[in-house]
Amino acid sequence: MNGAQKVDKRKVEINKFSLIFNKLGIYVVVLLLIVAGVILSGGQFFSASNIQSILEASALIGMVSAGLMFVVYSGNMNDMSIPMTMAMAGMLTVQFINLGFIPALLIGIASGALIGFINGLMIGKFRAHPIIWSWGFNLLLSGIVRVVWQGKQLYADTVAKPTEFAQRAANTFYAISRTYLTSFISLMAVVMIVMFVIAWFIHSKTSFGQKLKIIGTNYDVAKFSGINCTKVLITAYMICGVCAATGGIFFSALRKTSSYENGMGYDFSCLTTVLLGGVQLCGGKGSVIGAFGGVLAYSILNNILSWIGLDTYSKYLVQGIVFLFIVWLNTYSNRKLGKA
Amino acid sequence: MMKRKIRFNLNFINTYRCFFFLAIILFCGLFTKKFFTAFNIRAVTGNTSLVMWLGMGFTTCMIAGHMDLTAMHMSTMGALLCLGLHSQSGLPWALAILVATLSGVAIGLINGTLATKFEIPSFIVTLGMQFVLKGLMYIYTGGAELSIGRDYAFNELLNSAVGPLPFSLYFIITTVAIFLVWIFLRFTRTGRNIYMVGGNVETAWLAGIKSRSVTTLAFVISSTGCALGGALNGIYSGAASITMGEKGISPLMIALTATIIGGTSLSGGKGSVIWTWVSLIAIGFLKSLFKKTEQQVLVIAAILIVCIVYETLAQYRRSKVVGTRPNLHNEHMREIGKA
Repeated sequence: MNGAQKVDKRKVEINKFSLIFNKLGIYVVVLLLIVAGVILSGGQFFSASNIQSILEASALIGMVSAGLMFVVYSGNMNDMSIPMTMAMAGMLTVQFINLGFIPALLIGIASGALIGFINGLMIGKFRAHPIIWSWGFNLLLSGIVRVVWQGKQLYADTVAKPTEFAQRAANTFYAISRTYLTSFISLMAVVMIVMFVIAWFIHSKTSFGQKLKIIGTNYDVAKFSGINCTKVLITAYMICGVCAATGGIFFSALRKTSSYENGMGYDFSCLTTVLLGGVQLCGGKGSVIGAFGGVLAYSILNNILSWIGLDTYSKYLVQGIVFLFIVWLNTYSNRKLGKA
Repeated sequence: MMKRKIRFNLNFINTYRCFFFLAIILFCGLFTKKFFTAFNIRAVTGNTSLVMWLGMGFTTCMIAGHMDLTAMHMSTMGALLCLGLHSQSGLPWALAILVATLSGVAIGLINGTLATKFEIPSFIVTLGMQFVLKGLMYIYTGGAELSIGRDYAFNELLNSAVGPLPFSLYFIITTVAIFLVWIFLRFTRTGRNIYMVGGNVETAWLAGIKSRSVTTLAFVISSTGCALGGALNGIYSGAASITMGEKGISPLMIALTATIIGGTSLSGGKGSVIWTWVSLIAIGFLKSLFKKTEQQVLVIAAILIVCIVYETLAQYRRSKVVGTRPNLHNEHMREIGKA
């Protein structure tokens, strides 16, 4: 062919702002938020009680986000069945508290794993629409929970038999959310950090994490290069289910009740933290360290909004706008980097 | 003589499953006391009307290949704006309804722009927009319930039966609006374009359709319909709060269920507003078959799950037969010289 050879003239220069935001942007945001918090709270930001409340608020969201991160990373957008996974785990743990504390805990976590397995089977093997399936499954679980327990709330100390063993188990159940290791670090925060460390190990040091990256980037390529996509996706959803169940157990211990509406709104807030941490909606990009930063930023932001004096309802507005802005920034920086 | 194998094509059962669903529910109603009374029919159809508006919006967006989760909060916002403007600011009904509808147009435009121009997945956009709307409503009302005040004339008009029919005027208005949307989607060029964009965006764009504005139009139809329906529902029921229409189960969930039972394709490009309408009537009567909310939720969820699983398995089987590269076998045979 005659004529000049075609030169790729697409955008080469990379917007520096997008690059910085993509790499470790979230920790810059965390630092800015801390500075803003110190100014707005008048120096009380670093008091023990405030740090304690920030850690407690971030612990529950963090536990769930550590698992949800894998689902978002695999390119399946969101797991809408998180609220009922949390509620179901809390209900089952309280229901079986007579067997002792540890068996009840294991039953609660196993229910989360089972829900994750069904989700993974439907989405990974049969390729159901991830959002509509998990949303419908959430409704089914809520129907089951409401019919089985007739819409009642369960209290661990009334469900437990009046024997000493069962009562001690119920008291242990209540105590897990109220244990403090030092003056201001609660057990929940420690569990959250341990879960993030495990998630980081699974994500970046095992072959499972690498396979998940390929699946998230391009499902067909992963399939044709011989990766067992069904197995990997089922594992990802099971991790998500286990994390959500753990969060749900701690949540019902904190509230002292378990009912079918225990985890409401957690699907949205956890997705916000994961996206805030730089995990891409289209899948295959992001890191666990970023997601942890997202959790910190979200809870510090909530704390600052309380310092300003916003009521719970106005927080909805701020959270929604922050969410839309973050998602827009994510897609925008991706397009500028030429990755999308 | 050729031996012909007689095959029945049973596809129509799947395509028109909403009508069979309605027939089954009505048949079950024969064995229930006080089911086919004029009062029950009027109450059921009137109470389901709000969800019909939501279902109409949700289906329209689903046909265009998107999801509109703001539907429920949009209708609540329409109701609150309408009642608030009438009873607190003293505007006449017509103006209050107009303002509520215009707010729907505005939110629809924002949703559509974010989903098309900024290329954010529509599910995420509307999920975030839900919370923005919720916050706006709490700021507007302060969490209180708004009522229509002492002006009952319009409320009674909407509640009254039309002639000898056992339907309230509100239900008739809803039905007429849904049929208008159906005619628009089915028989006009713009409406057909929405179907085409839902089927395949790139093909539609190559064929010369402005896919972005068409998608935005679908969002605007959805939000406007929801706001108008919510405003009318606020007047119909006499009061509106932020959890309007939420009796144990979110109306949005029922709209989604009806859309899927009606047979609208999850990936877009196929479906009908009428199918959703029929399955919503069926769900409304189904609710009156069961007394307890818990049982209603379980039955509705079970039907939804059965529909999703059926659709998914059918898709899975098709992908197994067709394969990802249907011509691979032929190519291989040609290469080795056997074809």
